[in-house]
Parts: sequence; structure tokens; C-alpha cells
Amino acid sequence: MKVDNLVDHLFRHQYGKMVAILTRIFGLSQLELIEDAIQDTFSKALLSWRNKMPDNPEAWLTKAAKNRAIDLLRSAKAQAHRMEKLDNGPSALLLEGLFLEKEIKDSQLRMIFTACHPALNPGDQIAFALKTISGFGTREIAAALLTKEETIKKRISRSRKTIIDRNIQFEIPNHRNLPSRIKRVLEVIYLIFNEGFHSTAKHDLIREELCTEALRLCQLMLKRAHLRTSEVYALFALLCFHTARLESKLSDQGEIINFKDQDRSTWYWPSIQLGHSAMMKAVESEEFSTYHYEAAIAAEHLKAPSLAETNWANILKWYSELYKIQPTPLNLLNQGVVLQQMGCYDKCWEIIQQIDPDKLEQRKYLYYSACADLALQEGNSQEAICFLDQAIARVHNKIEKKYFLEKRNSIVSNNQ
Amino acid sequence: MKEYMMIFVGADYQELGLSPEDLQGRMGKWWAWSAKMKEAGIIRGGNALHSSGKRITGPDRIVSDGPFVESKELVGGYYVVTADNTEEVVKIAQDYPDYDLGGAVEIREVMVFDQ
Repeated sequence: MKVDNLVDHLFRHQYGKMVAILTRIFGLSQLELIEDAIQDTFSKALLSWRNKMPDNPEAWLTKAAKNRAIDLLRSAKAQAHRMEKLDNGPSALLLEGLFLEKEIKDSQLRMIFTACHPALNPGDQIAFALKTISGFGTREIAAALLTKEETIKKRISRSRKTIIDRNIQFEIPNHRNLPSRIKRVLEVIYLIFNEGFHSTAKHDLIREELCTEALRLCQLMLKRAHLRTSEVYALFALLCFHTARLESKLSDQGEIINFKDQDRSTWYWPSIQLGHSAMMKAVESEEFSTYHYEAAIAAEHLKAPSLAETNWANILKWYSELYKIQPTPLNLLNQGVVLQQMGCYDKCWEIIQQIDPDKLEQRKYLYYSACADLALQEGNSQEAICFLDQAIARVHNKIEKKYFLEKRNSIVSNNQ
Repeated sequence: MKEYMMIFVGADYQELGLSPEDLQGRMGKWWAWSAKMKEAGIIRGGNALHSSGKRITGPDRIVSDGPFVESKELVGGYYVVTADNTEEVVKIAQDYPDYDLGGAVEIREVMVFDQ
């Protein structure tokens, strides 16, 4: 029997589903108990599958979850102090209904909104979401977010505590709160994707999984008519466009490939197509979000048959629109880089000088990298090396660091 | 051909708190191993064991819970395989997936009584 017979990430995805369903039955206050119970079920599945895999592993796990729920209900009923609560609890029929595909999705959406509840500490939301919705282990989350496992555990338990203390309900918010709540969900999905895409993680496998996970969550949001705002479509399009070139970003040796040297034929076409159809839906709206502009920029890059044929003017236009609604130093820096591509070096300096590199925080190295490129264009290789050194001192990712070091070396050897 | 029992000691998954992804990966290794042995036609039987149980001791046959050993000494399962000698079983046992979790394999020859 081959491992291939098991769907990729079956356990992880099933974990998220089961947590969501059981939370629907027992309430968010029982989250810890539920997660322990599911962990338990999985360990047991592993032992009983050792000799023979069930014909339908997914159904097997679902059935195990259902049985587990019934067990838990029984033992809860046996405890007198819980009697009252469970009298109006779910009947067997209702329980059955919750395991239907549509209801599972509904429970997962409730969990997404719970994880992105404004009462939760923004820094804790990602860790909590990755554990509870996506079924990542604390060690995996720590590796992906470049944090200690202890920190992740603290964030998760703090979230659980807040949920109980604030008596947060397991629901999709009502119409009045919905728009702002959707916004926060999208922010969290976007952050999860960014963590993966900008490869802060040393572990490449986890990096990619964060991206696919963000896509999956976004897709879940698109499954419900009243959650399907133009912003959700735009974010989905953006994620698809970025995902399309995820492969081409890294060489087989795991080295970062400069955008200009990426093999455009390796861009994943189905992902681009999916992004385009989402984009068509997204632009039906009058109002454009940051995701609209970011997606437009990404699409513009994908459209160009080669870097030289890129429509930089369009990209600059989207960046300045984006800057109007999101005036961040990073968006300004991006405008600078585009101007540099267009050969407008004076204008580029002008923009770059407006930027306070400290405000770019962990992306500060990108500023120095842009400055280095600019200095190089002007033939000032000494200055370029100085800037590159600053970039090297601030970049965390090993692959990117290596890229800068090589660039520095080539400048040095060209000048000898 | 003789029969040998490989006894798996330690590496209690429940206690180790492995992530779903870890568990799935482990499962793959177990399958690969058992598939390899099946293909070689050497498997005679095997099972996983619950970590809890009963223990009966002493002349009064006192029944108590659990095997009362530390989890790292706990027997988690076994396979019975056929082989020519212990060295061959040692080779087979190289693929046991849980050494990295502190697990161990104990190999014992099944005794045959001549009539």
C-alpha cells in the first residue's frame, strides 16, 4: 500500500473540519477539550490503519469524529452539572445534519470569523487560525512564523482564554458587523499568504503550505453568497496571481531567482486563469480595495511576455492609486522601483528620498536594495556596495541574503 | 525458517502530541514498511496495542490498572515475521519508523516445541 493513496494533508484538513464541527456542537468554551479529543482520535486512527488502510480514509475519520462527538455527549450528559445545558443541546438528527458537506463549510466559516474576531489580539490571530482552522502543529507554526514554539503556544492559549472571557459566539456575524468583520478576515488571510510568499520561513515546504492554506480559506469565503464581496474576489485574484509564480521564484537548488531572470514559462497557467475570472467579478464593483490594485499590478506583470515588455506605466498608475488609499512607505518604495525600471532616475530619487527606511521595519532591506540598484545605474559602484551592505545586514532570509552577497561580489569583481 | 516477534517499545503517539501532518507522515512510513514486508512474504501477523490495560499480580491475583510502566517502556505493538536468523530480523527492523521518537524494537525468536 502506498502513501499516495492518502490525500495530501488529509489529516491536517480533517483536523480543521472536525474542530469546526465539534465546536458547533459543544461550543467554543470546550475548544481545548475538543482539540485534545481529535488529537486522540488521530493517534488511534494511525494505530488501527497500520496494517490495513480503510477504503475511504476520509469517511473513516469523519465517522470517528462523529463517534467521538457521541462519546463526548454521553460523558457530558453523565455529568449532572452539564445536564441543563445539554437538554436543549443537539439531537442525534441534528448531529447527523452537521456532518453534511454544506454544514461543515458553514462551521469552518464560523471558525474563521472566530479566529479573526476583533477581541483577539491581532498578533495571536494568525497562530490561532493556523492551529484551529488549518490544523498545523505548534512546532510547524513556530517554524513558519520564525517564532519559538513556546510563544505560539502562549498565543493560542491566550486566544482561547479571550474567547471564553469575552463569551465570543461561534457564528458568522450579522449584517451590521459583517463588512468590518469580513475586512479583518481578509487581512488575516492576506497576512498568512504573505508569510508564505515572502518566505520568512527557512523551511520551504511550510512556506508553500501557508500560501495554499490562504487560498483555501479565501475560497471558503467565496462559497457563501453573502460573504462574496468584490474585495474577497479581488483578494482571491491576487493570491492566484502570486501563486502562479510561486514555483518560478526559487531555483531547484532553493535559491531565490530575481524577478527579471524568472522563467516565465514556468508560471502556472491554471492559477492565472482562475485569478482572471475572479478579477472579472471583482471589478464589477464601483469601489476598489487595496487588493484590487495589488491584483491589477500582479496581473500586469503576468501579462508581459518578458520583463522588457512590461507595461510599467500601467503599473505605476496602479501603484499611485494604491498609495492614495494605503499611503504606506512600502507602496512608495514600489513606485520608486517602477520609476527606476522606466529609466526615470531623477523621479525615482525624489520618491525614495521621501521614505523613512525605519518605517519599513522588517522590509527595510528592500529600501537599501533599491538604493543600491539606483547607485549602480548611475555607475556609482562604491555607493552601491555600501547600500548592499546595509541590505545584507538587515535581511533575515538566507536565500535572499545569498542573493545580495552574490550581487555584491559581482560588483566588486567587475571593478577590479 | 524460524519465526520472530518484533516488539515495539515506547513512542506513544498520544503522549507525544504529534501534529496531524506529523501523524500522516508517520503513517506513510508504517505503510511503506509493512508493504515491504508483505511483498517479501515474511509477515505472519501483528497488531497495535492500547496503552492502557490490566495487570494481574501475586498469589491473590490482584487486578490493577495499566501495565504500570513508564510510557517509554510501554509495548505499543508487535509484528511476527519469518526469517533465517536474528541478524536478518535486525535488518528488517531498520525500517521501524519511530526510532527518532525514542522508540525501540525488541526482537525475540518464537520458541518451537518438538513433539
